[in-house]
Amino acid sequence: MTESSTDPVDRFLAAARDETEELPFRLTGVMFQYYVVCERELWFLSRDVEIDRDTPAIVRGSDVDDSAYADKRRDVRVDGIIAIDVLDSGAILEVKPSSSMTEPARLQLLFYLWYLDRVTGVEKTGVLAHPTEKRRETVELTPETSAEVESAIRGIRDVVSADSPPPAAEKPVCDSCAYHDFCWSC
Amino acid sequence: MNDNYHVFSDGRIERHDDTVRVITDDGEKKYLPVENAEAIFLHGQIEYNTRFVSFLNQEGVAVHVFGWHDHYAGSIMPKRGQTSGQTLVDQVRAYDDPAHRLELAQAFVDGSIHNMRANVTYYDGRGYDFDDVLAELTEARSSLDRMETVDETMGVEARARKAYYSTFDEILPDEFVFGGRQYDPPNNEVNSLISFGNSLVYANVVSAIRATALDPTVSFLHEPGERRYSLALDIADLFKPLLADRVIFRLVNRGQLTSDDFEDEMNSCLLNEHGRKTYSKAYEETLDETIEHPELGKKVSYQYLLRVEAYKLKKHLLTGEEYVPFQRWW
Repeated sequence: MTESSTDPVDRFLAAARDETEELPFRLTGVMFQYYVVCERELWFLSRDVEIDRDTPAIVRGSDVDDSAYADKRRDVRVDGIIAIDVLDSGAILEVKPSSSMTEPARLQLLFYLWYLDRVTGVEKTGVLAHPTEKRRETVELTPETSAEVESAIRGIRDVVSADSPPPAAEKPVCDSCAYHDFCWSC
Repeated sequence: MNDNYHVFSDGRIERHDDTVRVITDDGEKKYLPVENAEAIFLHGQIEYNTRFVSFLNQEGVAVHVFGWHDHYAGSIMPKRGQTSGQTLVDQVRAYDDPAHRLELAQAFVDGSIHNMRANVTYYDGRGYDFDDVLAELTEARSSLDRMETVDETMGVEARARKAYYSTFDEILPDEFVFGGRQYDPPNNEVNSLISFGNSLVYANVVSAIRATALDPTVSFLHEPGERRYSLALDIADLFKPLLADRVIFRLVNRGQLTSDDFEDEMNSCLLNEHGRKTYSKAYEETLDETIEHPELGKKVSYQYLLRVEAYKLKKHLLTGEEYVPFQRWW
């Protein structure tokens, strides 16, 4: 009760700014994607539930991610929490294999920008790129998008701290999800 | 996908380029395309080396070894692809909570009786009168929720299985006398078939469990065993009527297996090589049969049902969502 009386966002930020402090809950970029796509999958991820990693969609995603913009990007890790790709221009790059994942990827990118701004004090712009469609989109941190990130942090914390996951609910993404047979094996 | 290969001859098994080769003692060479294989079953005396083991590890293929009297001797499993501390912790917690363990033990027996009943019902409608057995199975099933311990639950399973086995003497032709379950060693043809079939189901379940992060030694109905994968025993019970027993009925009643396929030793009766080949072939065909799965919304093979069962148990342990045992629905 006393724990939940403090806002998770404030607790997370306080711990992230103080190197001696342990983070109150685990937060990674990919969790923001799962939060948008499927909260049940987010819960599985938080419990390290691994299912068949040979699912075609996952293999394809990794391949696109590894090959896009290979000559123009640098991997940067910050505080062991975020792993970002920085372009020559200084913008933060997030690569997505398909436009159906735009919204989840946008939220993940916003989290990186939010973290850099709030924790390390560095203002950056983001680039969301779909190499297979030769499209890119600029993403910026504004009061509105900051609020989006913070609301997602609260939501993610609620999902991962629950004893059980939200019940399975049929969605279009279920068919290509690695957890499909796990969720629906009744 | 998920093919099993059975090797019955004596000889040597080795990696040869990117495939597996068996060289039998009489000099014959056979190739096993393992890229989509789930497991290789070794029934004969076979030599192999570490290069072979590393290759199968890389391909994610298990080896199940059968020894004297068709006993399951052990497995060489691929290096674990799946680990999850949380899953093991939840599994042990469920085992250690008497109410939770009892609930799961009862679920396994409930499903097993349902699946035995499905076989009896089939023959009941085909010129046999098994009303008494069906009534006994129904009664056993409904008595389950009155059982207060795992031992009592095990007793219900034993009584039900005895009633179920009593139908075998009627279903099978007269020259195959069964007279009840005997093993270690099996004393007649039917017992030897049941032992062999059950050991194949067991080995397949070992593979299925390995595809999850469940620990195969922590079980609920059977006591966790020091030398056995007792969780595989729990799950295998559900599938023996569907996978092992139907093959026996089919092969014996059609005359595809006869007394020529067995050899008597002192106090025991075992399948000979031809008999094992005949049974394994029919068993593998059964694993490949498919059925529309209403919840998964697709056709799945009987073999995949084993994997699904491991998923269901893992999901129950991890999320608290109800575990409903496999019950033949068609």
